[in-house]
Amino acid sequence: MTSSPALVALAAAAVWFVVFFFAHIGGVRAGFENARWLLISYAACVLGTLVTAIVLTAWSNGMQTIVLAATMAALTSACLFALYVPALYTVLTSLSVQTMMLLRRRGGALPEAELYDRFASRKIMEQRLATLLASGYVAPKGPSYRLTPRGRAIAKFFRLIKILWNLGPGG
Amino acid sequence: MKAICLASAMTIVLLVLVTFCFRFYPSAHRARQMLFVYLFCLAVLVALWFATPDDLGLLRRSLLTEPAWLDFAATLFFFSAAFFGGALQLYNLCDRGFSLRILVDMLEAPTGAVDVDYLTANYSSGRGLVWMYRKRIDDIIATRFIDQVNKRIVLTAKGEMFADLFINARRVLGLELPQ
Repeated sequence: MTSSPALVALAAAAVWFVVFFFAHIGGVRAGFENARWLLISYAACVLGTLVTAIVLTAWSNGMQTIVLAATMAALTSACLFALYVPALYTVLTSLSVQTMMLLRRRGGALPEAELYDRFASRKIMEQRLATLLASGYVAPKGPSYRLTPRGRAIAKFFRLIKILWNLGPGG
Repeated sequence: MKAICLASAMTIVLLVLVTFCFRFYPSAHRARQMLFVYLFCLAVLVALWFATPDDLGLLRRSLLTEPAWLDFAATLFFFSAAFFGGALQLYNLCDRGFSLRILVDMLEAPTGAVDVDYLTANYSSGRGLVWMYRKRIDDIIATRFIDQVNKRIVLTAKGEMFADLFINARRVLGLELPQ
């Protein structure tokens, strides 16, 4: 019985994504910096996906079929990653989610003013700037901050999309 | 390969349609507007998949995905992932991203370097952080996760269920919970 190369590719991508998922969680639990570990563990699993798909289809297929299997595997893996990352960052950084978690842990209700003190304050800005600093998007300049070339490129790209989509300032 | 070709082409069509809708038919509910565009494109994609030959008239036999049901499933998966993980996330980042808005505010600041006080007061082109948080509170009230009762914010039953889900997710990741 011969397996479909596409099915083999999809299965390889799915299995390696499960490996990535547990490796990522394990790394975060072990105290690795999330963004860096996310990319390292994902890159390793993409490599594993490609090698598996190519090796399993190379036995009985020509070059074009191997290319098809590798492309299907890489694309499936990329799609799974694209769905995973927003869900992860919702849990990690969303202020709406943090508000709901705080409410739950504080008996289900809080004065509005207390929430504003916590989530609309100078402190939350300091925390987010610290994250941007650690990620290399901003750099300190005396008591102030300036954009790094990487931060400037990201800001320009998203400002362009905002203009293209007529979105207004947002935030 | 048919799945990749059709899903890629339809993703480009979706992005063009979303751009067209946002520019010429602005709506207060843009995410919902995007979802309608996605559903329309999904219906067209399904019709196209059934209407076109397996080789699209140009693919070699070795590039055909078999069995056919797998190609169909892959088409739907690739297109849906491109929408939910790509286009919709791009919109969310542009319209709601807190960190991203800070970067854009810094880019648009009159001086090259800005301090925390400037960013706090001038967040989102001068709207400020209170506006930012009000927007989030209004959104989670609209989705019925919380309620506002006499200047208190109260978690609904639906909100409790989702809060538990997020708390468990943070526990699995071994992260601190909000105190």
